Amino acid sequence: MLTKDDLTRYERQILYTDFGENGQKRLKQAHVVVAGLGGLGCSASLYLTCTGIGHVTLIDCDRVELSNLNRQILHYEEDIGEGKSISAARKLAKLNSSIEVTPVVKKITERNAREIIKEANLVIDGMDNFETRFILNRACVAEGIPFIHGGVHGLFGEVTTILPGRTPCLSCIFPEIPHRQVSLPVFGVAPALVAILQVTEAIKLLAGFGSLLTGKMLYFNGNTMDFTFRKLVKNQNCPVCGTKEV
Amino acid sequence: MSIQVKLHPILQSLVGGQEVVEVTGHTTGECLENLENRFPVIKQLIRDKQGQLRPYCQILVNSESVYPKELTTPVEDGDQIDIVVFVTGG
Repeated sequence: MLTKDDLTRYERQILYTDFGENGQKRLKQAHVVVAGLGGLGCSASLYLTCTGIGHVTLIDCDRVELSNLNRQILHYEEDIGEGKSISAARKLAKLNSSIEVTPVVKKITERNAREIIKEANLVIDGMDNFETRFILNRACVAEGIPFIHGGVHGLFGEVTTILPGRTPCLSCIFPEIPHRQVSLPVFGVAPALVAILQVTEAIKLLAGFGSLLTGKMLYFNGNTMDFTFRKLVKNQNCPVCGTKEV
Repeated sequence: MSIQVKLHPILQSLVGGQEVVEVTGHTTGECLENLENRFPVIKQLIRDKQGQLRPYCQILVNSESVYPKELTTPVEDGDQIDIVVFVTGG
């Protein structure tokens, strides 16, 4: 049920015909896990919070460092040394006190991933490494939870929405997990833009309107300001989702 | 035999912004070699020191992954090869 304050706070998005009060109610009932509170996760959780997702769980095991501040917009100089999920949750609670924000300081592993995400309606990929992305991909497929992948490099970015059992998963494209890479170049605007695209996908998926980035990868090239797509095809021999019914 | 290689945006920036490059070859490996001979800088990004494809690169033929035969899959006139780079930053 939407309150009087909800109707005021979200008035401008409720005016959107495809969304309306029913869409807002769906967002209020939703639980989204943001995995990683770096460049992607900060921007994603900011917009999930202001758009009225009822419960946002923030998970990250790292602490804020000075070198994060060019892109991780929920962490300030005074937060250096603090857990990223705690730092982010404090700002988000001030932005929207009507929703529940749960910070979790924990490393996502093969052992705990399914437990962490199992109550969620969807998971936002805010990770900065291959290994944990593939752990989350596997856990989301196993639990049947949508996984909205985003990644950045310099001024490049990519986004796709994975619906377990229905669309290609990350392992359909990359059956072998690449090795960990050293620090990559990133401008703050790249994860901000990709995260906003991820949240756009989340809003449509949860409220049930529009079309999604399923079965295709959207690429953003900030050097040339080009947006391009690649069709993705489900791999029947995929080690993660290949044996599932389509 | 004309094959189109569609480049990931990161690779496009190495070849002057071209998205598609026409190459020749009977396998994905031959086509990639043809591409690398024309644009040696691409080889540095997609291959390791042993000449193997780096794990963060994948090859699609007509949108389908050809793993684990990324370099040995036969291709025919009109096929499209995609070089996909997994961008991992967050």
